[in-house]
Order: sequence, then structure tokens, then C-alpha cells
Amino acid sequence: MEKFTVELIVSNHYGVLNRITGLYARRGYNIDSLYVNETENPEFSRMLIVSKGDEYIQTQIVRQLSKLYDVKQVTLMATVKR
Amino acid sequence: MKLNGAQIVIEQLCAHGVTTVFGYPGGAVLPLYDELSKNTHRITHIITAHEQGAAHAADGYARTSGKTGVVFATSGPGATNLVTGIANAYLDSVPMVAITGNVAVPLLGKDSFQEVDILGITQPIIKHNFVARDVGELEYILNEAFYIANSGRRGPVLVDIPKSVQTDECEYGDLPSKKMPEHLPVPSLEQAVNAIKGCKKPYIYAGGGVLASDAQAELMELSKRLCAPVGLSMMGMTAIPHDYELNLGMCGMHGKYAATAAQSECDLMIALGVRFSDRATGNIELYRQGCSIIHIDIDLAEIGKNVSSDININGDVKDVLRKLLTLLEPIKNEKWLTRIEELKQVDKAPQSGDFSPQSIIETVSCFCDDDTVIATDVGQHQMWVMQYYPFKKPRVLLTSGGLGAMGYGLGAAIGGCLAKDRRRTVLFTSDGSLGMNLNEIATAVSLELPLVIIILNNGVLGMVRQWQGMFFGARYSQTTLNRKTNFAALADAFGAKGYWVNSISQLRSILENLPTSCPAVIDCKIDMDEKVLPMIPPGGSAKNIILRR
Ligand SMILES: Cc1ncc(C[n+]2csc(CCOP(=O)(O)OP(=O)(O)O)c2C)c(N)n1
Ligand SMILES: [Mg+2]
Repeated sequence: MEKFTVELIVSNHYGVLNRITGLYARRGYNIDSLYVNETENPEFSRMLIVSKGDEYIQTQIVRQLSKLYDVKQVTLMATVKR
Repeated sequence: MKLNGAQIVIEQLCAHGVTTVFGYPGGAVLPLYDELSKNTHRITHIITAHEQGAAHAADGYARTSGKTGVVFATSGPGATNLVTGIANAYLDSVPMVAITGNVAVPLLGKDSFQEVDILGITQPIIKHNFVARDVGELEYILNEAFYIANSGRRGPVLVDIPKSVQTDECEYGDLPSKKMPEHLPVPSLEQAVNAIKGCKKPYIYAGGGVLASDAQAELMELSKRLCAPVGLSMMGMTAIPHDYELNLGMCGMHGKYAATAAQSECDLMIALGVRFSDRATGNIELYRQGCSIIHIDIDLAEIGKNVSSDININGDVKDVLRKLLTLLEPIKNEKWLTRIEELKQVDKAPQSGDFSPQSIIETVSCFCDDDTVIATDVGQHQMWVMQYYPFKKPRVLLTSGGLGAMGYGLGAAIGGCLAKDRRRTVLFTSDGSLGMNLNEIATAVSLELPLVIIILNNGVLGMVRQWQGMFFGARYSQTTLNRKTNFAALADAFGAKGYWVNSISQLRSILENLPTSCPAVIDCKIDMDEKVLPMIPPGGSAKNIILRR
């Protein structure tokens, strides 16, 4: 399966990480690595989430994440074949 | 203007056009309920018997009226009692705002009395939830809550308000209500138009999205223009009148034969505001075989989720259909129409006994008009209503689709009845489901609502029993209730009118003399071995339909 990275801009607020990881967990997608930091604008954080999945999973993840209120921007980064 | 949190809630409800809320008081919402008592001229609060009933009532009210359903509950157990109602609204895309109290801000996170993390609990079953830890955020949060519940694909939102925030004060009235977003632009429809022009056997699969976008007229026009039969998902049941000649009825596991068979024979499926639930499709590979699919939905995440489609159109169903209709010429297709007519004949099989579910539902329907709201619970009786009730107008059906929650019906019927100015409203239920939330009969009695509660009483958890009969060697594990409950006497004890009938003529004479300002509970004894047929076994397809026993 392909490793893929999703970059998110999210509100910098308690509970937001929970909402995002919950979405992965509910669908049974493991998170391989996770990186969060505050952006230049302290209202937002940037997240990088690496997980594995085929095109279907990647599309679903991006579309489901886009529906979350606290998620302001979703970018699917280039994938690496394994 | 300086207001406290409770006052802000009331002002915000009024600003969003709310006139009715459902709920149940408790310690953590005392300030809110105190404020409510000073605003009875603006807001009617309906006290139910249980918070679940209140949530289902808010849901039924929203589905019937098209407005946002609003429900209040206290912290802890009050909040947890809402959970099923919220999940139900989420899965059926019903706009709802739930407002819960919580312990005072200094007590949050300390496992205080009646403190639960209702945000954490509801997170997977809700569009979004907020906690207002500071009264200064409350106005903004409530604005957002109504906006989120009603924008895009609708759904529930919860706002948790600690008790201290309800009494804290701040300036109010700075923010205008948030405007609903512009509809998504309609994408290019060229591919869809070409596919439609090239097809021989078009089929429309219509769901709740048609009703949500109010696209009934466009759906009808599309069907007529293309000579395309329409199969409905349960959520789309009222999108097209039952007697329209190309309405094949509900698709899927317990749908009509013609709806499923025509789908399996079509070469192009136009899917409108549906999410291809497993109950509707059966085996996905077989379902998908032989046809191309145009999928039109407002929720991009639904496109390609359960069924891969050939042409994807992300947009509001009504907007898309309007544009599509400007691009399509009428198509005549006698061969396909003849075939559809043949398939429809299969559904016209004679019914079973005299006092069958079908004859009961049809008899009741004779005493209803096109605007009568029909609620159901969950089980065989629900499927019989889908198969036999002659729906003519949109939005008159209240049924738990995605969640399939037994106990939904009575609360929903109360909400629906109130949304329709207390018009006569019918609930079809059965002994199992009614047992879940029958305490709400007390609510309906207090409100003097003319509900007609028809119990298709088979003495069993019929739907589960049917599966045990068909797929588990008739080992009827825990589904034969054989309770001694006298529903008619129980209704009387609640202050409603109870009846017991076992013939159509008895049923008719009761329906002719229904009480006008009190619920009637009519216990109809039916055979426990009645089956819901046709049925596609789980994972099956049109080829495996079981038509008769
Ligand atoms: C809250 C809840 N618990 C369990 C079920 C599983 N279930 C689905 S249908 C059904 C039987 C319903 O029995 P009844 O209300 O008597 O309706 P009938 O099938 O007899 O018409 C059950 C137990 C459910 N859908 N909802
Ligand atoms: Mg039953």
C-alpha cells in the first residue's frame, strides 16, 4: 500500500486533534506519523499526517477531513510507492 | 445591551426563527429554563417524558417543517439520553441544534456531579459541536450552530453551555446572523448529457437529497422527459407520488420487485441525492454490473464512497437538475416502458389474509389525506408502510432510515403533529418498538394531540424473527415476546383512548369516530408469521429476490 501524507490547516483549539484522529480511527486507518505546530498566525495549526492507503482511501480521507468544521484546508501531498 | 448567557440563548433562538423547542430540565440548565419561563410568548417549550423522545420530536418537527429542530437537555444523563436522537438526525441529514447544560466552568474536567464529556461522546455522530466556556463566545457559537446545521448537507450540531456561562453577562447583539452560503456552482454537464443521449434503458434512483433540495418537480420532469422509471431509497420515499406510472417504489432489501429488477436491467442509472446504503444496493459488484452511473450529490464525500460512479456531479440536486433539463430533449422508448410495465405486474400479487398488514395500512390510509404526517417505528411494520402506504406529497413521512432506531416513531409523530398545527398524525408501530418509548404517550396526552397510533401487533420482534426464520434455521432466539401487555388499557391509563381490534370492519368503525383532542391507540392483532416480502437476502442481488414464501 502507498504511504501518503495529508497536510492540514486547522483551528488551533483544544479538541481539534481528537476530531481528526477520530476520523481516521473510525474508518480503521492507522496513522504512521503525526506532526503538529502552530502557524505564524496563532489562530491556526498545521498538521502533517502520514498513513497508508490506496487511492480510494486517500480520496475518502481528504473528502471526509474537508467536512470537519475546524479543518480550513486539506492538501494531499505526493505519495511514495512502497 | 448586556445580557446573561441564558438570555443570549433565547435571543439567538428567536433570531433564527425558532418558535418551538423540545426538552427536559435539570440542575445544569436551571438558568436557561428560568429564562424560558419569561419568554413563553415567544418560545413554546414542549416537555417530553424522556430526552430521547425530545430529540426524536425535534427531528420529526424539523423533517415536517423544514425548519431547524431544537432540543434542550441538562448535563450528564440528560445529555447522554440525547445520543440516539442525535445519531438518528445525523444519519438522516436532519437539521438540529441540541443545547446541553454542563457543570460550571471551574468544575469542568473534575468528574463533577452529572458531568460527562458530551462533546467527546457525540463527536462521531454530529456535524460539529461546541462548548461555550466564555459567555462572550456564545452569540458567535449559536450563530455558527444554526449555520452549520442548515448549510450543505444538513445535520445536527450540539452546543454545550456550562451553568456559570448561563448566568455570566456580556454585551449582546453585535453579530448579524450568518448568511447561508451560496450554492455550489453547477459543474459542466456535458458528459452526463452525452451519457443520457446514448442510453437505451435509463433508470433514476432518487433519495433524501431530492427532498432536501426540494427538487420533486425537477425529478418528475426528468423522469417524464427520459421515460425513465424511478426507484426510491427509503429517505426519498415521498419525493414522487405513489400513483405516478413510472414510480416503482422503494428499492433494496425490502423494496418492490420492479424497483430492483429495473435497476438490474438498466444501462444508465441517474442517482440523485443518495448514498447507496448497503440496505439499498445489496451486493455492490452485482449492483454495479451492466450500467453506468451518474451520481449527483451535495456531499462530495458520498461520491465514490460506496459505489464508484462513472460521472460525478457534486452539487445541489435541484440546481443540477434545472440545468440538466435545459440540455435534454424528450426521449421516447416504448420497448423499455413495456418492460417496466411487465416488471410492475409482479408487484401486483394478491395479498395474504383479511386482517393483513397491507389491508390495515390501506384502510388507515383511506382516513388520511395527502398532508397527513405518517410516522413509523422500525421493523417489519416500517417496511410494510413503505410498500403499501400511498404517499402523495413530500415530507409527510417520518421514519428512521440510516440508524434504524426502534422507538423513534412516537417522539417523531409528536414533533410532526406540532409542526403541522396539531393536525391528525398517524404512527405505525409494533409491540417491540412501542415498548421502547411509550412513555411519550403521556406527552401526547398532555398536549391533547390527535395522534393515531396503530400497533401492528404480532407479539414478536418480527423483523429479527423473520431473519431467524430465513437464515438461522428458525431458531427464534429472544424474539418471541408474548408479553401480557394490554396496550388498550395502558393507553387508557395514560389518559389516551385505547382500542383492540381484530377485523377491518372494527378498525373502520373506530377510525370513523376518532377522538379529536387526545391520542388513540389501536392495537391490531396480526399473525406473527407475516413476512416482509419481497426480500433480497443480505449480500444478494436482483437474481436472489425472494418473492413469496
Ligand atoms: C433500538 C434498537 N434495538 C434493536 C434493534 C434491532 N431490531 C431491528 S427490527 C427489530 C424488531 C422490531 O420489532 P417490532 O417493533 O415489534 O416490529 P415488527 O418487526 O414486529 O414489525 C429489532 C429488535 C433496532 N433496530 N433498534
Ligand atoms: Mg412486533
